[in-house]
Amino acid sequence: MRAKWVWILVAGAAVAAACGVGHAIFVVDVYSFIKGSGQDTIPYFVPPGSVSASNKPQRIRLPGAAASIVDSVTVFGTLDIQNQAGSGTIGLQLYLAADSAGSYQSSALALNVPAKPVSGAATVQDTIVGRLAPGVDSLFRHDEVWFRLQATGTNGGATLMQGRALLTSIVLTVVIDDKIF
Amino acid sequence: MLVALVVTGASVAGAQVPGSTTFFQPGTLARYNPAYRSVPLRGGRQMPSITIPLPLGLVQFFSDHPHLQDDPMFNPDSSGFNPVEILNLVLNLPVNIDLKKAPTPTNDVYIGIGKDSLQVNLGAAKALVPQDAFGFGGVSRVSDIGWSVKGVRISVMGWVQEDVKITLGDTLLAFFNGQPAQNNTRYAVFGNGLAAAGFAPTIGYNGRIAGDSAHGLYVGAAVHYYVGLAYGSTNGNGGFTTGDTLFGGTTPVKFDAAGLAQYSTLGHTFGHGVGADIGFVYVSGPVEIGFGINDIGATITWPDTRQDSAFYRDSAYSQPVGRSVKTTTKLPITYAGDMAVTINSTTFGFVVLDAGQGTTVRLGGEQRFGPFALRGGLGRDQRKLVQYGGGAGVRMGPVSLDVGVWTHSNALSDEREVTMGTSLSIY
Repeated sequence: MRAKWVWILVAGAAVAAACGVGHAIFVVDVYSFIKGSGQDTIPYFVPPGSVSASNKPQRIRLPGAAASIVDSVTVFGTLDIQNQAGSGTIGLQLYLAADSAGSYQSSALALNVPAKPVSGAATVQDTIVGRLAPGVDSLFRHDEVWFRLQATGTNGGATLMQGRALLTSIVLTVVIDDKIF
Repeated sequence: MLVALVVTGASVAGAQVPGSTTFFQPGTLARYNPAYRSVPLRGGRQMPSITIPLPLGLVQFFSDHPHLQDDPMFNPDSSGFNPVEILNLVLNLPVNIDLKKAPTPTNDVYIGIGKDSLQVNLGAAKALVPQDAFGFGGVSRVSDIGWSVKGVRISVMGWVQEDVKITLGDTLLAFFNGQPAQNNTRYAVFGNGLAAAGFAPTIGYNGRIAGDSAHGLYVGAAVHYYVGLAYGSTNGNGGFTTGDTLFGGTTPVKFDAAGLAQYSTLGHTFGHGVGADIGFVYVSGPVEIGFGINDIGATITWPDTRQDSAFYRDSAYSQPVGRSVKTTTKLPITYAGDMAVTINSTTFGFVVLDAGQGTTVRLGGEQRFGPFALRGGLGRDQRKLVQYGGGAGVRMGPVSLDVGVWTHSNALSDEREVTMGTSLSIY
């Protein structure tokens, strides 16, 4: 049996014991699952105009909430935009879907991080914060969700803008109405 | 005899109070103290032939749930479906009426998950995590049919023993108490259980050996020859060991379990053993003091026990350990002490009972006014909170109607709930 499911059973028992009205609040350190795997980095190469680049969809195993109601899902993360050349803006989009292919659909957009201006060889720190689109909440009733990060760049200059967006933390907070059955 | 002090109000109500017994009903003390079989009821009281609970709580239940087939609580597809509530409903039929409910406790549980971290904060619900062994058990005397001649009583008693104990291992307990999960660590639960049943031909004596009805000493003793029809017991532990990384590591979680089962079922040679009950009651004017001990030396030998071991590690396998092995089980000794004072139509007293699962204390009183009776009392529940009860009754010829109210608390709140029960007794 996978380790996650063992612990989910244990955690489920804990939630079951905590009878009464309330919430089960899962704080999932997503970054810990991708740190050092290379999937925490999105290189970008933006010629004059605009272009987007993304990492590969990543699967997160979750405590399936079954018939429970997912009250809300919020995300908080930090990002270093390490620009190497050129100038423009870099924005970030978070896509969530039930499968890998679905994360490429526009309907899978869960959070849009406003673009940040970058210029020259400099690092700009950004934050990923917000409540995910209500439409994706139901995904957290399943036992896995796929996420994909996409960086969108605009280049108003005449030279190539390039660099990389490096995730330094990302945490999902899933609030579930206290009904695990 | 110590009469219906009724800590819990009506006799039917008593069975519903956490940790309480119907101890104060006439005749109940004889279960724990054989001397009470010969102590006359005082204060004009009589033993009812039958007591029937009046299930007024069902009226309340069906009023709250008028359409069961459409009720979200019973519909598995509904977000209102809750099997825990349904199980609770089955185990605790809503016979009584809830006069006041404690506010439903609110409690958020936080579970932090990372690739190599896991931590749970149960909030107030942490109080529910059993820090020590938990379970249930005791010996029930399900029937006692007998005949008495001049204090000598010959009877056949049916008995059932059950004893279940579960203990969380130290590491699992620490996790539930808020400690982070650790790598390469075993998390386990330990448990043992025993169930046995049989009958016991019994010969006993009870009677007054000194004094008169106003000042006298009553004694009682009974010797049981226990015949064990069947028993089964198991003890073991099960758990899992974490790998180098809690989630997503290359080392998978390893489950393991080990246990030893022993049983002697119908078709095997019956178990047998001898035990005794003793007790005395001293009556001096209005005062009545009693003390009884049950199941002294009640060790039952099972000559034809089968023993099997079972293991799990990657795969399950079991292995016979022994056939026709002689094993023994022991019934827990029960102690009961009580004191009551009856002055005219007023009775008050207390009972202390230890049936092998901790000591309970009940005290209360009853005042009778002709056919009417008022009752009140208090006791300590399993959370060591003081709970209160009161009630009233009226006797109309061969019939009496009793009503009782009592308080109790749920596990997450110190606020007391109030419940009412009623019963009808026929004399």
